[in-house]
Amino acid sequence: MFEIGIMTFGEVTEDPVTGKLPSPRRRVRETIEQARAADEAGLDVFGVGEHHRSDFVGSAPSILLAAAAEHTERIKLTSAVTVLGSEDPVRVWEQFATLDLLSAGRAEIIAGRGSYTESFPLFGYDLGDYADLFREKLDLLLRIREQNSLTWEGRLRAPLVDADIAPRPYGETIPIWVGVGGSPASAVSTGRLGLPMALALLLGPLTYHVDTVALYRQAAADAGHDAGAMPISINTHGFVGRTSQEARDTMFPYFAKGMMDNNHQRGRGFPLSRAAFDAQSSPGAGLMVGSAEEVAEKLLAYHELYGVTRAIVQLGFGGVPQSEHLAAIERLGAEVAPIVRREVEARQASVA
Amino acid sequence: MSERLRVVVVNGSPREPSKTMALVDVILDTLSGMLPLESARVDVYRLGPGFTGAIEREDVTPDVEAALRLVESADLLVAATPVFRGSYPGMFKHLFDLVDQYALANKPVLLAATGGGDRHALVLEHALRPLFGFFEALTVPVAIFASSGDFDGTVLLNPAVYGRVETGLADVADLLRARATGTVV
Repeated sequence: MFEIGIMTFGEVTEDPVTGKLPSPRRRVRETIEQARAADEAGLDVFGVGEHHRSDFVGSAPSILLAAAAEHTERIKLTSAVTVLGSEDPVRVWEQFATLDLLSAGRAEIIAGRGSYTESFPLFGYDLGDYADLFREKLDLLLRIREQNSLTWEGRLRAPLVDADIAPRPYGETIPIWVGVGGSPASAVSTGRLGLPMALALLLGPLTYHVDTVALYRQAAADAGHDAGAMPISINTHGFVGRTSQEARDTMFPYFAKGMMDNNHQRGRGFPLSRAAFDAQSSPGAGLMVGSAEEVAEKLLAYHELYGVTRAIVQLGFGGVPQSEHLAAIERLGAEVAPIVRREVEARQASVA
Repeated sequence: MSERLRVVVVNGSPREPSKTMALVDVILDTLSGMLPLESARVDVYRLGPGFTGAIEREDVTPDVEAALRLVESADLLVAATPVFRGSYPGMFKHLFDLVDQYALANKPVLLAATGGGDRHALVLEHALRPLFGFFEALTVPVAIFASSGDFDGTVLLNPAVYGRVETGLADVADLLRARATGTVV
């Protein structure tokens, strides 16, 4: 089995080609349309990232996912990620359990520390407690999933005494993944907990996470978990075009704009050259851009290298126009996914 | 001389708790599994105006003098510091500017540092080791570095760093045992 999905941050980015800034109203509707297109294309997962800024409409992912639930039938709906350190786990559970009821069991959570830190001052949290907040809140979220009612005590949140936390999910449980950017410590702590790991790879060589995965599996095995059975997903940027060249030409100006707005050196954005972008698009690098065959090949390379059983691709970073975005979703579902699923099944059958 | 190795840690971190001292805890814990020891710690950021205002050794207040003597009389010195602006903090260097020129000669010194990323690791070799080269100290061949990403908060999780601590200390365990019991100079 291999799951393929898409995710979005709900970018509100000035189009570098037309100079136009889309309205937040338009972007929330486009986000729901992307979910519907992904569902119709037979993709497995739709994710919304959490950012608390005017240049994204992803401040409240659970609300966007709830709207998506009403317009989709089969696709799983996940946060990507929930910045758990600055959230109340009780509230997160309530929202995603409700989403699970609305969607008949399709809700998932990727809990992350968050690569953006805006939410901490907004909700009154001290960034100095960053690591402790995440550890403690993940513990609480897992306990809430395990049982109701719940008595729990921590250091950074008020204790719960015989608390009735509702609703319970539609199905047996709600999958909780942990988003990992690649630090050895988060790989080890996630492995110890025996939780599925959602690896993020922004740019860099395909092999960037070899150590991360090894540390994760070793820590899981040391803690007594079945390390081989623990799911890993890869979350990365990409675009599926009609041809290899068209994919790169379409994606590049938007991706470069997104990087300029979000990836800083010396406190400022920096231009991503076309040469650097093309290098990141080569077979040995992480970016999932190209023709359907090319992207399928790269997904299989990820599968082979890390044993990942899920990939979530962000197709619209930097505000790719909706028509292009929808076309890429369609190709990912109709052209890429069948190749990858067939090949992974064949490989798994030959191993078994 | 006492049977226990007298370890003195010079702590260059202003924070409490800190990754630097979490790394030192792992070092001391590993070393105590190899031989009996007692440890003391000098926090350069807690020594106060009697330290920061002193230009010469004779300017220091009595409590700072006591801290300097502690450093000078250790069997093993653990020099541990975060990397600030590409090197050890000025406050850390200021302590060693007040240490007697020959007090650390032939004294075992373990170098340890923490930094935001692996790019800082050679601070151990290019900044810390030359400082103790001036003192003609006996620096332990393996120096220990840990990056922010090796820690969950102040809990060291990267097994590779634990391995390096083990290796670095095992190299000098016999020497340290001899220094503790006074059997060899």
